[in-house]
Amino acid sequence: MSSNNTSDASSATASSTSSRLNNSSYGTQPRQTGFIIEELSSESESYPIAGYSNNMTTTTQTAKIPDIFTTLPPVRDLLNTQTSLLQDQTVQECLPFHLNNLGLPINPHGLPHLDRKRHIAFLHKNLRRLPAAFTAADASRPWMFYWALAGLATMGESLEDYTERLLSTVKPIQHPDGGFGGGNGQMSHLAPTYAVLLSLVMVAGGDVSEDERREVLELVNRRAMWKWLGRLKQRDGGFQMSVGGEEDVRGAYCAMVIITLLDLPLDLPVDSPARSDECTTFLSGLPEWVARCQTFEGGISGRPDAEAHGAYAFCALACLCIIDDPHIVIPKYLDVPRLISWLSARQYAPEGGFAGRTNKLVDGCYSHWVGGCWPLLEACLEGPTTASTTKASSTDSLYSREGLIRYILSCCQDQGKRGGLRDKPSHNSDSYHTCYVLAGLSSAQHKWRFNAPARSSTERPETLSSAYQWTSEFLFDEEQIFDEEDRVLTLHPVFVIPEGIAEQTRAYFASKIGF
Amino acid sequence: MAPKPSKASKAQPKAPEPIKEYPNIAAFHQATYENSRPYHKPLASLSATEKTHYAYARLLETGIWKSWDEFQRKDFWKYIETNKIPVPLPEPKDLGRDRNGRDISKYSVKEYEEYQKRERGLEGLVRESTRFRDRQRRLRRSGRAGEDIEGEIEEERNRRKLIGVLRGKKMGRYEEDPEWDDVVPIAQDDGEGALAQIAYTEEYSEAMSYLRAVMSTQEKTPRVIALTSHIISLNPAHYTVWLYRASTLFAINFPIHAEIEWVNDIALDNQKNYQIWHHRQLLVDHLYQEIKDDEAKLKELEDSERAFMTEMFDADAKNYHVWSYRQYLVRKLNLWNQAEIESIEVLLKKDVRNNSAWSHRFFVVFNDPKHCTEGSPATAHDPKIPDNILDREIEFAKAATFEAPQNQSPWNYLRGVLCKGGRDLSSLELFAAEFVKEGKDGAEEDVRSSHALDSLADIWAKTDVEKAKWALELLGNKYDRIRKGYWDWKIGQLMDQPVNTLEGNLEALKV
Repeated sequence: MSSNNTSDASSATASSTSSRLNNSSYGTQPRQTGFIIEELSSESESYPIAGYSNNMTTTTQTAKIPDIFTTLPPVRDLLNTQTSLLQDQTVQECLPFHLNNLGLPINPHGLPHLDRKRHIAFLHKNLRRLPAAFTAADASRPWMFYWALAGLATMGESLEDYTERLLSTVKPIQHPDGGFGGGNGQMSHLAPTYAVLLSLVMVAGGDVSEDERREVLELVNRRAMWKWLGRLKQRDGGFQMSVGGEEDVRGAYCAMVIITLLDLPLDLPVDSPARSDECTTFLSGLPEWVARCQTFEGGISGRPDAEAHGAYAFCALACLCIIDDPHIVIPKYLDVPRLISWLSARQYAPEGGFAGRTNKLVDGCYSHWVGGCWPLLEACLEGPTTASTTKASSTDSLYSREGLIRYILSCCQDQGKRGGLRDKPSHNSDSYHTCYVLAGLSSAQHKWRFNAPARSSTERPETLSSAYQWTSEFLFDEEQIFDEEDRVLTLHPVFVIPEGIAEQTRAYFASKIGF
Repeated sequence: MAPKPSKASKAQPKAPEPIKEYPNIAAFHQATYENSRPYHKPLASLSATEKTHYAYARLLETGIWKSWDEFQRKDFWKYIETNKIPVPLPEPKDLGRDRNGRDISKYSVKEYEEYQKRERGLEGLVRESTRFRDRQRRLRRSGRAGEDIEGEIEEERNRRKLIGVLRGKKMGRYEEDPEWDDVVPIAQDDGEGALAQIAYTEEYSEAMSYLRAVMSTQEKTPRVIALTSHIISLNPAHYTVWLYRASTLFAINFPIHAEIEWVNDIALDNQKNYQIWHHRQLLVDHLYQEIKDDEAKLKELEDSERAFMTEMFDADAKNYHVWSYRQYLVRKLNLWNQAEIESIEVLLKKDVRNNSAWSHRFFVVFNDPKHCTEGSPATAHDPKIPDNILDREIEFAKAATFEAPQNQSPWNYLRGVLCKGGRDLSSLELFAAEFVKEGKDGAEEDVRSSHALDSLADIWAKTDVEKAKWALELLGNKYDRIRKGYWDWKIGQLMDQPVNTLEGNLEALKV
């Protein structure tokens, strides 16, 4: 059967990539632009546990690890195919990490601690000069700023030292016609623009002077940005990633994040090619276009007609939650029960983590892409929080927070010198995974509430105020499995930057008159 | 006649005897230097004559004699020539390092001679090359760039190769090529202390500098195709290069088939690349305009594209970009046909769990304009779908379920089909029950598919809440524990809702 060939070919590509990266000893894997979605399916590498001692610590045997994470699933088919072989392999790869027989110090719940020191060092390293092997990331360098800075902020690191350097780094990347490219002289593209804007906003939201904040935020040419976004808007409601580039859900999400944070006018510029009698604003036809991406499985695809995929699901939901309140906009445009059913099926045992699609493997980055959908959906189901709303307990969670936290702390941490977080134990850490695994950890450790807007329920928000009504709470569990020292900071459920910064940024730009 | 300073050379000591071997050029220079200063010793050790010679040597060295009148100079030189007083040479300087980092002072005398010869040759070539550039610039300025004789450019190309060889360092590909002389490369401005700066190879840096330059003048010519091919070979994940290449291709009417062939190789080597597939989409959009009325050519394109995707799927049958492209292609070329469905079935035969293939099948079957309502959402009921198609799809998915009951793909597919057809999920009850045996009389139940149990829970929710609850609890506590939160939530929904929903009643009326 030719599935054998398939496996050989894919493992060959994967291992050549990985050996190249191993040699570099650097963190991030070179990635493609706009990669918020890619899964590297180098699924058949052997995993690097060599070098770890296999001594069982005494605590391992007494630790409380539910058997769901240590045994095979109860229902298994006899038929073997490429999919099931890779799935079995992944389970075998994760089990020893859950059992924690690697001789690492663990807490009474059998979980290793978050190795902050190493992960922090790893991310700092990723912001330093990178070897030529990173040329593949030449068009997506701004992602590296965002991933590293967001990851550092999540672990409570100050970004202050990066303010000046970030400014001088992104200045030559801004295109005179609006937006940011992957590097100097490159065309503007929504993915790097999103990454640059969030990076700027993060450093501006830190401990900086008013003057510095102004300098950072004023770097963005808002008028040119607005004009450029007008060229990306499509007649069918969606957005292209770059002029003449592909149209997908990432475009819809990135564009809305930029528009709302910078408080840009919603009206399309007069020279926007999409402008017509029916299409007059950036929002025209947008939620309807996003709705067309819901598939028969209930999940969301990158563009209409394609397969449901976890990363696009987050982009779609977050985009909708910028347009209006979650409990109004999500049910209006999506079939919520089918979406929840599909999303819930993304979590696997014994691994505990999320996969991006049906019959694909768990991957640490979906801790955010899939995990990040839950706060938005929970707010959709619960409706806005009012003063009388009772505090939620963990039993309200639609997914297993414990499973996700276990996958993250046990399987996703590189516990060696390298540090950083990863897809799964057989993969090298990189800043992309470090950022989104930490974002997933943060969301699993906290409960987000969407607060009742000040306006009356019939009045619709005109200036995209919906995304600024979120607040977090600690989630206190009777049986919290992680120690308090392993709690990370909260990230805004829509913007994926530290809590409070989006509101501050929005207020800054909203107070300006005109551009 | 005024003595010429060149006369001084006659007075110089002869080159050291050839018999004498010097270990290297520095030693030779040092010896020459020392030989030129026989009187530069402690004064006390010199005889009276030697002292006078020394004084003359000093005068020579300072050059003060140049300010004297003719008579004085004549006498001075006469004395020097008569007594063979050597002209004191300046102290030898450090010769530095050559282009390979080798210390030149370590060269042998012969090596050094060759080195100097090479350097002189190089200088000559560089001068020639500069003249060539100036000439070309003048020609361009007067709009006569094309008049140039072919041989001259070829000659210059060789000259630059030679310059590269002599320098021991090849010139950049574009720097070396006279065809690119009119372009002033634009270096990358990275900003001071830039974050995550990449240490590019020189080859990549140079090529990108030329790309920035051609983009700044919006040049769209065949050499831009060559330049972008080169950059893509070094970094295929570069959207700017791909987009600029596409606009250039269309501007110069580049043959699309040749481009598709070229892209195929890149795609096979770069399985995870995003940009290639958007590029291909632009190519097909363009090509379609040319061939849309030519059935044979359309069929040819359909076949070759399908064959190529099959090759891609051999390496990764779930490649998201390839599948997205395929969905585009089906709409573009109207591939709502049996060949398309059969080619998916081949993939499902290889791996019945390939959800991408299931997903594509759903798309092809339920968007075929022959029997579907245009624009009907994937999650909505489309009354236009004929029963025989619904039955066919249900049977197809059921058959696949028997192969591997715990495979979620066909279960999702079944639900999707029922929803499309507006059929009630309860029509699946008997089938799902095949995989869920309720243990009678206290015996333990036997569940071969948690997805069957899930379906039954949804079916029973409308008819028998207690049974539905039993199924959901079983899922949460035994068969799919990781999703307990979800199953519990469904139990909550069960209790909140009346058994016969409005929707349920409507469904009942339909049947």
